[in-house]
Amino acid sequence: MLKINAFLISSSLLFFIIADKTSAQCCSSGNPFISDAEHPALQSQVLTSSLTYRYSHSSQYFSGDSRFSDLPFKETSYSNYADLQIGYGITNWLTLQAGVGYFFNKTLTTAGLDPYKGFGLGDAELSLKFNAYTNPEKRFSISPSLGVKLPIGVFDQEADHVQLPITVQPSSGSFKYTGNVFISKGIGKKMAVAAFLAYEYSQLIESDNFFYKYGDQWIGAVYFNFQAGKRLGADIQFRNEYRAKSTREHNEIVDATGYNVIFFTPQLTWAFKHNWYLSAYSDIPIYKYYNGIQMSFGYSFSARLTKKIDFIALKAYQKSKNYDVLLRQ
Amino acid sequence: MKKFHLLWILTAFLLWSCTEKDNTRPSEEIKIISLTASENPVKAWDTAVITVEATGDNLQYNWEANHGNFRGGGKQIRYGAGECCVGLNTITCRVSNSSGEVSDTIMIRVTSYFDPKNK
Repeated sequence: MLKINAFLISSSLLFFIIADKTSAQCCSSGNPFISDAEHPALQSQVLTSSLTYRYSHSSQYFSGDSRFSDLPFKETSYSNYADLQIGYGITNWLTLQAGVGYFFNKTLTTAGLDPYKGFGLGDAELSLKFNAYTNPEKRFSISPSLGVKLPIGVFDQEADHVQLPITVQPSSGSFKYTGNVFISKGIGKKMAVAAFLAYEYSQLIESDNFFYKYGDQWIGAVYFNFQAGKRLGADIQFRNEYRAKSTREHNEIVDATGYNVIFFTPQLTWAFKHNWYLSAYSDIPIYKYYNGIQMSFGYSFSARLTKKIDFIALKAYQKSKNYDVLLRQ
Repeated sequence: MKKFHLLWILTAFLLWSCTEKDNTRPSEEIKIISLTASENPVKAWDTAVITVEATGDNLQYNWEANHGNFRGGGKQIRYGAGECCVGLNTITCRVSNSSGEVSDTIMIRVTSYFDPKNK
């Protein structure tokens, strides 16, 4: 309990101290959403560590729900991104999660011109996930979570003393506070359905000549999981991401911000020995609506490697192993 | 206890990472004479050429904008912005050498691609 209190106090202190010290810019939204990262809260002394690689690609401008092709140039945006996430079950009802993202590149190319290329650390994320309700017999669980995203990464990257566009800056430059709930229900022995609802509030970025606030974001997702074999799992996910319009100086609403996109995300997961898991999935937009004219999301491919360590099981296993050795002696 | 120490190390790291650093000092040697734009306002996705005239030796020019993008570098730069940056935008030019740095700003209004006045 002391540890939890210490964490909460220091986290709160951290938020208050650094809340107004970011440098300022606009328009990017930082780390991409890792679409297979949601799971129920962990059991006590269980640690999971995941490394995700993600390639994403965009090349179409959208206005409303249609492609906008009137612009007299062709632009392509793509990125190679890695995300490290660690979760640890402090108790059976509380899981601490931390993550950080890194962009190997975040590139914007325009035909006939030199490309813009940013790279570096993105945002960090800290969250607490609670095991609000669990029923192992019915394979039902409810796991709400609260978190914060910290703009620890690069937000003012330059090339030849000229600031790069915000679209290729790795960090969002804004503190973001998140709340979400994950509900999972097993159906029979081989199937499960899950739902995820998330809200993200971005803090106002304010400095001498800059005033910007990203619109609030809502994400709702439904997952269908099927255990295709002893080691192979398949998931299908439908996810709706909605972001409201941003505001800038004098509380002016930025019309060409905010969107509503529905994704279809198929996923395969292979469980190796010793609790190693490898997942591959893709985010495919099936409906897009963008306010004003905006570069729209194209597609992404991701691969995720996860290692799970159950320290209680590990201790029990080592204890039984020692016991066997003693018996043999 | 070890976990508690780890937490404070993490906290200190995050504090250090998020703190704004400003090591520049003003220069008495450099003078910015003018900072001008070829177009103002500018339609979304069109560009304006911004030119700075300054006196001083071995000058280095840095360009920043609160909204919008640059092409080029040096004392003359091309500024443009998409539909997301419609509004009155601030472009900052910082001119520096070994004596320090001075800066000036110019405000450029970016108008919507759909603005009927642009047609």
